[in-house]
Amino acid sequence: MSVLEVKNIQKSFGKTEVLKNISFSLEKGEVLSIIGSSGSGKTTLLRCLNFLEFAEGGTISVNGEKIYDGSEKRSMKENEIRMKRLHFGLVFQDFNLFPQYNVLKNVMLAPTLLKLGTEEEIEAGARALIARVGLSDKTESYPCELSGGQKQRVAIARALALNPDILCFDEPTSALDPELTGEVLKVIKSLKNGDSTMIVVTHEMGFAKEVSDKVIFMADGIIEEEGTPEDVFGNPKSAKMRAFLSKSFENI
Amino acid sequence: MDGIQAWFVQQFTELKDKFILCFIDGDRWQWIFDGLLNTLKITLFAGLIGVLIGIIVASVRSSYDKNSESLALRGGFGYHLLRFINGICQLYLTVIRGTPVVVQLMIMYFIILKSSTNGVFVAVITFGINSGAYVAEIFRSGIMAVDAGQFEAGRSLGFNYVQTMRYIIIPQAFKTVLPTLCNEFIALLKETSVAGYVGISDLTKAGDLIRGRTFEAFMPLIAVAIIYLVLVVILTRLVGVLERRLRRSER
Repeated sequence: MSVLEVKNIQKSFGKTEVLKNISFSLEKGEVLSIIGSSGSGKTTLLRCLNFLEFAEGGTISVNGEKIYDGSEKRSMKENEIRMKRLHFGLVFQDFNLFPQYNVLKNVMLAPTLLKLGTEEEIEAGARALIARVGLSDKTESYPCELSGGQKQRVAIARALALNPDILCFDEPTSALDPELTGEVLKVIKSLKNGDSTMIVVTHEMGFAKEVSDKVIFMADGIIEEEGTPEDVFGNPKSAKMRAFLSKSFENI
Repeated sequence: MDGIQAWFVQQFTELKDKFILCFIDGDRWQWIFDGLLNTLKITLFAGLIGVLIGIIVASVRSSYDKNSESLALRGGFGYHLLRFINGICQLYLTVIRGTPVVVQLMIMYFIILKSSTNGVFVAVITFGINSGAYVAEIFRSGIMAVDAGQFEAGRSLGFNYVQTMRYIIIPQAFKTVLPTLCNEFIALLKETSVAGYVGISDLTKAGDLIRGRTFEAFMPLIAVAIIYLVLVVILTRLVGVLERRLRRSER
């Protein structure tokens, strides 16, 4: 059974159709990379999965249970949405750490508010997660004292603290210097070995090629091409994908 | 040389006599002191009421601004209720900010709270309601200034709206609005000087009473001005300390 099944997702902003009938599925432990040029709808798709936007049509199922139906969105209660959102974790492009709290509190805040255990359990869990992203010496630091790469690693730990079924990354390295992207990508790679199911929206073609089990190339709100990284990168069928690839690699 | 010295001595004696006339004779310093107490009372309690009203109105208005889209999408009772309350808040802001505080004070004193004999109470209520309108917009500007990504981070972590506001947005917003809020309290403190219009003996009124009794304008009015100045300086300093403490998590 697929851990995630997305069927016919549609979304428009005003008259602009951003997502036109997007469908895909994801198995447990798989890593899916979504690539495509800016404005192709990648980020919007991720935001629909996290209920930061509401798709107008289509369904989203997690572990076989239908958690969202675009035709019934009117009847969804705020609390219901809140609970369903917890199937997904989200790591933002610009981190969005809470500046008034230190690293430990940033990671602990969500499990504490959602009462996922005793104070000691939550703190131990948070410290373990911070160690996992390699920042044990920074637990007391405030976000403003961290580099971009460190901030993003804290954000990953914060998203993991709720133990989501699927962890989503929205261009996790786009706001980082080239020399800082490596440390973040390494953490994401290490999560793959830890059996996390992940969706990564990225412009890092090398990373997508190396880490993903599955790649989706989006253009103009549709899935233009999908398959294993070998197929999509090695043997692209669509003209748009070929044009995109040649542009992506020509600057390097 | 002697002439200059004599002139100084004469000036000093004159000032001393005026001082005694204005503040010592008939224990008139007591008027200033009582007036000062009333001014402080009115400012403090009106400030508290203002903050309370400000929080409530700012919450309603920013909830409406932030959530109206998603609520409108789903419609229902909650949306119409929020829209109704938001309308009331907007009416309140328009009326209070659109009329002079002296007029509001007189309406309150001579019409709405006509039966009340406690002038200070009327002033507290009036200035509180007046200040609330300004504080509300100050708070709202602070809330709206917090990056939208912070709301989304909260929501993506499963917080509800109240938790997001309480733990993420308001601490950041408060830091942003503190200087402006201090400004509002300074304005409030000085605005209370119009309380004398309806016969409340605040600090300004006390100075004016002494002027009327002694036919001496300089002493009492300058004294009143200095007291206001000192109060404002103290208030500014206190807020400065608080601000520095809050900024500790930055840099």
